[in-house]
Amino acid sequence: MYFLNLSLLQFATLFGAVSAISVALYLLDRSRRKQIVSTLRFWVAAEQPAVAARRRRIQQPWSLILQLASMLLLLLAIAQLRFGAPEQAGRDHVIVLDSSAWMAARSGNRTLMDAARQTARQYLQALPARDRVMLVRADALATPATTFESDHKKVEAAIQSTRPGSTALNLDQALDFARHVQAQTGRRAGEIAFIGTGRTAERDPGAAAPPRNLRVLLVPDAIENSGLRKIGVRRSTSDPDLWEIYVSAHNYGTRPRQAVLTLDFGPPSVVGRMPAGSRPLVLPPGGDAEASFEYRTAGAGILGVTMTPHDAFPADDQAELELPAQPRLSVTIYSNEPDLMKPALSASPRVTAVYRKPEEYRSNDPGLVILDRFIPLQRPVADSIWIDPPALGSPIPVRQTVEKVPFARWDAGHPAAAGLRARDFTLDRASVFEAAPGDGRIGEVDAGPVVVARPGKPKIVVLGFHPALSAMRYELATPLLFANLLRWVSPEIFRRAEVGGGSVGSVRLALDDDTAAKDVTVTAEDGSPVPFTLRDRALDFFAGAPGSVRVLAGDHEYMFALTLPQLWDTRWTPPADVRRGIPHFAPSLPTASDWWPWLALLGGAGLLAEWLLFGRFRIARFAVRRVAVHKTAELAEVRR
Amino acid sequence: MASAPLLDREFLEKLERLAIRWQKSFAGLVGGHNRSRFPGAGQEFLDHRHFHHGDDLRAVNWRAYLRLEKLFLKMFQVEPRVPVRMLVDVSASMTAHGGEKFDYARRLAASLCYVGLVRLDAIEVHGFSNRMGHRILSNGGRHRFPAVMDGLSALNAGGPTDYLAVVREFIGTYSQRGLVIIISDFLDDGNCERALQYLSDYGHELMLLQIWADEDRTPPWTGELELRDAETGAGLKLDFDDGARQRYTHAFDEYAEAIQTMAHRSGGRYAGIATSMPLENVIFGDLIRLRGIA
Repeated sequence: MYFLNLSLLQFATLFGAVSAISVALYLLDRSRRKQIVSTLRFWVAAEQPAVAARRRRIQQPWSLILQLASMLLLLLAIAQLRFGAPEQAGRDHVIVLDSSAWMAARSGNRTLMDAARQTARQYLQALPARDRVMLVRADALATPATTFESDHKKVEAAIQSTRPGSTALNLDQALDFARHVQAQTGRRAGEIAFIGTGRTAERDPGAAAPPRNLRVLLVPDAIENSGLRKIGVRRSTSDPDLWEIYVSAHNYGTRPRQAVLTLDFGPPSVVGRMPAGSRPLVLPPGGDAEASFEYRTAGAGILGVTMTPHDAFPADDQAELELPAQPRLSVTIYSNEPDLMKPALSASPRVTAVYRKPEEYRSNDPGLVILDRFIPLQRPVADSIWIDPPALGSPIPVRQTVEKVPFARWDAGHPAAAGLRARDFTLDRASVFEAAPGDGRIGEVDAGPVVVARPGKPKIVVLGFHPALSAMRYELATPLLFANLLRWVSPEIFRRAEVGGGSVGSVRLALDDDTAAKDVTVTAEDGSPVPFTLRDRALDFFAGAPGSVRVLAGDHEYMFALTLPQLWDTRWTPPADVRRGIPHFAPSLPTASDWWPWLALLGGAGLLAEWLLFGRFRIARFAVRRVAVHKTAELAEVRR
Repeated sequence: MASAPLLDREFLEKLERLAIRWQKSFAGLVGGHNRSRFPGAGQEFLDHRHFHHGDDLRAVNWRAYLRLEKLFLKMFQVEPRVPVRMLVDVSASMTAHGGEKFDYARRLAASLCYVGLVRLDAIEVHGFSNRMGHRILSNGGRHRFPAVMDGLSALNAGGPTDYLAVVREFIGTYSQRGLVIIISDFLDDGNCERALQYLSDYGHELMLLQIWADEDRTPPWTGELELRDAETGAGLKLDFDDGARQRYTHAFDEYAEAIQTMAHRSGGRYAGIATSMPLENVIFGDLIRLRGIA
């Protein structure tokens, strides 16, 4: 006889507490009957001594005994009293089945996953039928595939439907999950059986020791494998059409390997792609090898990286990255002296400038419109930069016109004035604008702002002087100012793009110093946000499935093609005292019976009987009888 | 008490053959159904007396005058209309033990009112505790019974009992003697026997109907009790066992006997009624045996 839910000490403590409360209630309240009577004159005549302040004896001992016995039965039901030895009861086992990416590797004519599934089925068949089993699929996350099932066929079906994932095994988390879920059930804990290769992600040195009830069923994986580990692609800083490609490969095996890296570029389908480069690689055992390529293209397409010949684990031999097209900003300049503007606008390869006469003005030019000392009849629909506009018709009102004034300062906090230092020049003539509260006062003389940027849609910038016709034309600040203005007007054009290929799982990205968390967005392929953390310039996010993730951080854009499986070199060596192999359990014994429903019923019946025999039931019965009399009379009255 | 003392039709039909009776002879106008020793304008010869100046010459026995040359006056027996008053206890003690005494008292009062209505008796009903409540007039025939029922149903119980005050108020209100039916548990802290004696001495005939619940006479509880008086709120803690229960019942019976003795001594009638007794048995049994009704 044993308790399933409580220990003997817990049961004794609970019953003692309940009994003490019950007896105390009897002594304090139940034994003293409070009664309202018609008169006290005959009670006084009964001449009985007054009751002592403290009760010394139980008034209704049988009632108390019945109540205590009922509570004892209820507590026994709660504790799930069982007859027989505890060993006869079923146990709860957890099968932790390795479903990491490595399980897709082939060993002979079958994959490691096939071998693991077979081992799991053998273990399941060895378990007694009365035991319940939970299947947990373990890769980077531990995912329960079933609850604790006494129907082993359901567990076997779940084992059969287990497929290799894309991430590496997080063994510590999987074992911890199994231990936790096993502790939550009220039944007797069985074994935690780990079935896999033991190739796991990097383990935390402070991780807890393996559970005592752990059984390890290792799947042999003496497989030579080497594959792509990381791919980095970015535009050349000197030539925006040139892509610099960096490929890193790793040899997970014990023998050196020679391979060839091949690059191709083209449409998403393999057919039609053009070779983009090829290079041999020599991979030492357990070592890395890198290769760099350059590829020139202005268009968008898919860059494929392939390592040949393929090995037993082909999933990491190939990767594909999407290369975006180089965006360009279309700038239309309306000026009678276009040569003044050409030096400033030709410096950026991302700008396509079109020069027109003012009389050729169209208000619907796309991109950016620069109006050089010219006021059109209709303002441009697109963003615009107004250079020395006439006072009448300026988009930002001209407060006054000043002459021979020294330039005072740049607004270093505004992005359009970033890096501008020169101020020791004098403006022969300049318009001072009436800036609105939300406007950026980029450049100022003492009388007020002479360069104003108005955010909104469309963005408007006005310059109260012509930089190329003033003393500023000799300053480095002039091209810098235009570059900043172009970047401020169209930041997406000048965003620096990087493309990376890697494995699914946790991704860490080092950001610039000046990137704030509010300027960072991480989105998945379908545009849904991906949770991330940003700490000490390090951005971390997790991708559980293959796909692409886009990170926007300030003026940087990172495209991650996370299509490679996550693999690790770390191999877990189980402790020596851990049980191994398929177990041989004792033959099936008669299962212990569940007595708690009967005990609960008996306890409830006892409490009901106590209430009927000794409780307030008698008073309630009289009340019911009176009500019945009145109801009968009312009925008769109604009939009458 | 929200519950109304309703009576069913079958029971009311049984009551129709009854009439309220009293023993004393009261003076009054003709129209009643109880004979009186007081002569009056009746049909049945009662006695002769000497003629006095001012007597009705129509009642002179002229035959006797011719024979004896003396004037004798014939006296006739009369059945006077006598006022019947009913006092129903509505004190808090009537509500003890679930209020069954109060309900029973109202049903008993309703039954007697119906008997009176059938015989065209005029019954004035008052609830009382420490003073008399509003009058509920029951007269004019059986079709007035619903109004009487409504009045009795509207009675509310509460407050302490003060028989002396009530009797004083009753005597001050009603000068004409008659039958007084008191339905009560007669459980008060004062001396209700003295007050009832005053009422009897004033000339009223008493019909005392003492109502008690079984718990009033034989408390079913055993052990340590914490009691509270329903009227005064006074408390008492005691240990109650079978011996004490016997002493209690004995004291109760002595008290009931004292009330009965007082009633009989003053020419009245008394009935002790337990609420466990069916009302029909009480009316057709105890009250008929008492000659309270016939």
